Amino acid sequence: MPSDFAIETSGLTKVFRTPWKRREVRAVNGISINVARGATFGLLGPNGAGKTTFVKMLLSAVHPTSGSARIFGRNASDAEARRPIGYLPENHRFPTYLTGDGMLDLYAGLSGMPSGQRKKLIPGLLAQVGLDQWGDVRLGKYSKGMLQRVGLAQALIHSPSLLILDEPSDGVDPVGRRDIRAILSELEAKGVTIFINSHLLVEVELFCHEVAILHKGEVALAGRVKDLTAGKGYRLTATQMTDTLRSELATRAVSVNTRDGLCDFQFSNREDANQALDLLRAQHCEVEALTPTTSTLEEVFVKTVQGHTQP
Amino acid sequence: MIATLALIQDTFREALARKIFWGLFGLSTVMILFFLFLLNIDIVEGAMATVTLFGRTVNRVSDVDKWVRSTQAIVATFLYTWSMFLSVFASAGLTPSILEPGRIELLLSKPVSRVHILLGRYVGNVLVVACNVAYLVTAVWVILGIKTGIWSSAFLVSIATTIFVFAVLLTVVVLVGVLFESAALATMVTIALMIMSPILAQTSTMLKLLSSEWSRNVWRTFYYCVPKVFDMGRATLNLIQHDPVDVAMPIWTSAVFGALVLGTAVLVFRKRDF
Repeated sequence: MPSDFAIETSGLTKVFRTPWKRREVRAVNGISINVARGATFGLLGPNGAGKTTFVKMLLSAVHPTSGSARIFGRNASDAEARRPIGYLPENHRFPTYLTGDGMLDLYAGLSGMPSGQRKKLIPGLLAQVGLDQWGDVRLGKYSKGMLQRVGLAQALIHSPSLLILDEPSDGVDPVGRRDIRAILSELEAKGVTIFINSHLLVEVELFCHEVAILHKGEVALAGRVKDLTAGKGYRLTATQMTDTLRSELATRAVSVNTRDGLCDFQFSNREDANQALDLLRAQHCEVEALTPTTSTLEEVFVKTVQGHTQP
Repeated sequence: MIATLALIQDTFREALARKIFWGLFGLSTVMILFFLFLLNIDIVEGAMATVTLFGRTVNRVSDVDKWVRSTQAIVATFLYTWSMFLSVFASAGLTPSILEPGRIELLLSKPVSRVHILLGRYVGNVLVVACNVAYLVTAVWVILGIKTGIWSSAFLVSIATTIFVFAVLLTVVVLVGVLFESAALATMVTIALMIMSPILAQTSTMLKLLSSEWSRNVWRTFYYCVPKVFDMGRATLNLIQHDPVDVAMPIWTSAVFGALVLGTAVLVFRKRDF
């Protein structure tokens, strides 16, 4: 039965045991996440949070200790569940004896694509990732950024409905990152579900609409990026005000910052910002700007992780 | 089927990229050239007049057929020992290489079962060695046939026996590779089995020498459990030389051993986390 979700996990848990079973490491602990079809989802977390183990369980490279994972409604352990998945692993090691063409041919073949179709698609796909002149060169000669690009091409070759990318911009220069974002945006427009596991918070913030922050194997925070970063308050920038007015506004503001004759007041809510604006206008002060302020994803991330670390 | 072909093709590509496989083909070619250029045989009215090697007459045999069979037996023995060692050595890295972190995850992310991946690799590996063995044996057979006019098809049986024994030994390489991801360890264990085989094959002698029934049972158990590398080689020689052959027991015991070891490798591979 078709599912509304590209990824559904329920109580997904992985406990690694040392060879003699003396010690247990709970890498992932009861994670339940649903990623809707067509969503762009970012998985965040500090090192050792369980992100890679979670992704590997989606791909059945790691067997869950308990819980379940489903891909488009199919049990993730079923090989057929992986047919709609395009995957780019972190720290990939593509066979260096293959050329770019050969590598794409191999992985497309493993996805069940007939030879004729592979031959037709490969040149266009290499061009799409900016490697059209490199198809007949062995991967051993590729730079890290080029390997990342060809890795993305192999993830796309069979037109997947779900793209799982582990650190997709790792080693890629800023222009390359922009190119990758452009490719991903095109795929998003086509309805492809994109699941990104990345340390680059700015990248996730730029591209993903939803995120989950993992910490110590558990979901510490999840939701829409817009909601998680919203609601910090308002910033009012003004000039030409008296010291008395500045002092009065400072008592209402959360913080004040003065530089080059400009005063930045940070207000926690709209009412305070409006009252300050009325006072400034009444005294004919110049208002430079009034902007709603949001948290960056990085701030949310740090706060979440620290909040879970400190008692 | 497409995925199977992709796995086999990848094994061939990797095998060719490893210089040791070119070494295998190179050695085979040297042997073929040896037979082609350095062995001159003069035949007069169906009997061999002279056999010249390196420009000197080294043998004179009246029975051409017997001489050809002996030569073929020597080639088969060479194949069976030297070539088998080289093939095991060359193949040892092919299983651990697909288990490397960063490569295995990508393979497992494809819609191919783990059993399929491992067996595809195994079959590809057997086919690579089979190509080499078939190339060498067939070429030597053709050269000897042209030079002597005798086409003894029994010699070609050594293609089948060599590939069969290699396929059995490769299961050990695969199991050790899956368990420990070590090409060196896989080679050591497999070569140890090959070395044990001729010793264990001296069953009748050893059973007389061993004092207790318990130790005799241990010897028998070992003999029947371990693949019959030596027995299969001896059977091949007997076949070529038209001597009596009892090949059933070495074949089925080796086949059971191979099936059990490969089955274990598949089970381990299916259960492992990567």
